[in-house]
Amino acid sequence: MNIEDYKGIAEEGDLRAIRALAGRLAGKKMLHVNSTAEGGGVAELLQRIVPLLKNLGLDVRWEVLKGTRPFFEVTKSIHNSLQGKGVHITRQMWDEYESVNRKNAEAIDLDADCAVIHDPQPALFIEYKKRGTWLWRCHIDISMPDRVTWYFLKNIVEKFDGSIFSVSNFAQTVSIPQFMMQPSIDPLSEKNIELSEEEIARTFEKFKVPMDKPILLQVSRFDPFKDPLGVIDSFRLVRKYHDCRLVLAGGTATDDPEGERVLNEVLEKAGEDPDIHILLVPPFSDRDINALQRGASIVLQKSTKEGFGLVVAESLWKRKPVIGGDAGGIPLQIIEGVTGYLIHSVEGAAYRIRQLLENPDHAKKMGEAAREHIRRNFLITTNIRNYLSIWLALEHKGEKVIYI
Amino acid sequence: MTQGANVNGTFKFFECFAIIRLTGRRASDILEFLEILKTISTESIFHHMHQYFLKPHIIPPEFPNDFAVWTAETLGEQNLAEALANVNPFEFGDIEALRAELVRIITEHLKRYPPPRPALPGREFLFNEGVTIVLPTGIEAARLHDFVRALKEVDSSSVYFHFYEARLRLGKEQDDFTQFLDSCLDCPGLAGRIKSLDPYMYSTEVLRAKIIRLIEEAL
Repeated sequence: MNIEDYKGIAEEGDLRAIRALAGRLAGKKMLHVNSTAEGGGVAELLQRIVPLLKNLGLDVRWEVLKGTRPFFEVTKSIHNSLQGKGVHITRQMWDEYESVNRKNAEAIDLDADCAVIHDPQPALFIEYKKRGTWLWRCHIDISMPDRVTWYFLKNIVEKFDGSIFSVSNFAQTVSIPQFMMQPSIDPLSEKNIELSEEEIARTFEKFKVPMDKPILLQVSRFDPFKDPLGVIDSFRLVRKYHDCRLVLAGGTATDDPEGERVLNEVLEKAGEDPDIHILLVPPFSDRDINALQRGASIVLQKSTKEGFGLVVAESLWKRKPVIGGDAGGIPLQIIEGVTGYLIHSVEGAAYRIRQLLENPDHAKKMGEAAREHIRRNFLITTNIRNYLSIWLALEHKGEKVIYI
Repeated sequence: MTQGANVNGTFKFFECFAIIRLTGRRASDILEFLEILKTISTESIFHHMHQYFLKPHIIPPEFPNDFAVWTAETLGEQNLAEALANVNPFEFGDIEALRAELVRIITEHLKRYPPPRPALPGREFLFNEGVTIVLPTGIEAARLHDFVRALKEVDSSSVYFHFYEARLRLGKEQDDFTQFLDSCLDCPGLAGRIKSLDPYMYSTEVLRAKIIRLIEEAL
């Protein structure tokens, strides 16, 4: 995998910038640390970005924090609390958090010119910093955090050299520089490459989903913030007018113990309805997800809280209009009425689904605009360019115009 | 002229992109907005008055600066938005003077009309700054016909950088193009015609086309 493979797909200006930046940083050590090797947007992003950075001549490593089940229970609580769902983090929980961070930080080589620590789980690695520029990359929505949890985390975050958020609205008042960097999709990954009609049909057949009527699709973890139960309610409102199917496809990540409970609630709500298909998709099913997105008529992402919601960009890239919740990074991807619709309720989702099912030509036009919007703004090449630029900007603190 | 743009009578084209730095300051109504506007960095004002010209748009927003767009779309205050959109930053010697004009417009509006509704949660104005990363393109020109050919070839961010960024952010009296045409190619008439363009009325691509047409007419 090489940056030159993106010629003709990505913006040429981005490719030129990457080559120039990589020339400046070649041979330097970069370290990424997160808490899961598979499942979820962060791992997916790193799986693609790390090899590309290596091929650009940087010495890049990706380390995964090894957590215990109690640790992930704690970090899930911290995650929920930061997203505004009040969970009190007890002293004992913080102790578990510190203990796992310490053990991991001592076991991992933290020597790097630039270390990028993803999300709160390994944030305490900063206590073990040896040298270089350290960035805290926050992928989650912390615009309305629980104040006590944020107070403790802020004390950790402010020890970094800089922080990166996916959406401006997630920024907090902190003493370190904060940057915005939208995450991205890789058009050449298994999840996004072009597929033949035959392969798409085979995939639907494999999942026992007949393609005999329009298909509504939501791909997401079984997580309450993705509102899969609300999606079923919207589907039932739509079905009074349109004969269609609903596919809810998702998995659970290793750091998400809540997933199983939500999945059971979804299965119960779907009941015996033959037009609702709940697909538990294992990690590394990227090609299957790709086919499901390509075979869908309309894609939903009815999140009530969202980090960025990369799955929206994936679907838009495949020329699918997306109906999404007005949360996190979704409004950056859905231009209202141009690439899809933003909704705020079960009824809103139902109304917009009906509107698109009634007007397939309009949906097609939206799909074309959707693809171009993603091409210009949300491809992996822009992401790589921005990582390298932010690193450079922190090495040129105070400069507002930096010449390469 | 921008650092390195004119070397011994040869114009060297640069291109650029911006990374966004977040200030964490946000306004949820016009009074908060006004208070922050008075003290926010000049970098932030420049960013919100110009990012429209650097960013690619599928559907361009109604107004070319973020202040006007927020005032119209979020506060629903169309007449204030129109007044803010009508500001031409090139009329001001520096960003402090531009800031004073923006503050004056909003203050005058508040004297004449009741304050507009506050923003809904999640729709606050978020004050950001841009850090510009500048790259050499390797494209250069020493004569007018080479210059126009290069102008057709470069990325639109190059036009943005040499025109908007050079003049206002870097505090020059003229944009790089005008200065080069005037001082190096001895084309004061052409430089004057380019300088008199109203660049806040079009996208960077349209601006590029207009400059090219003026040069081709001169050739």
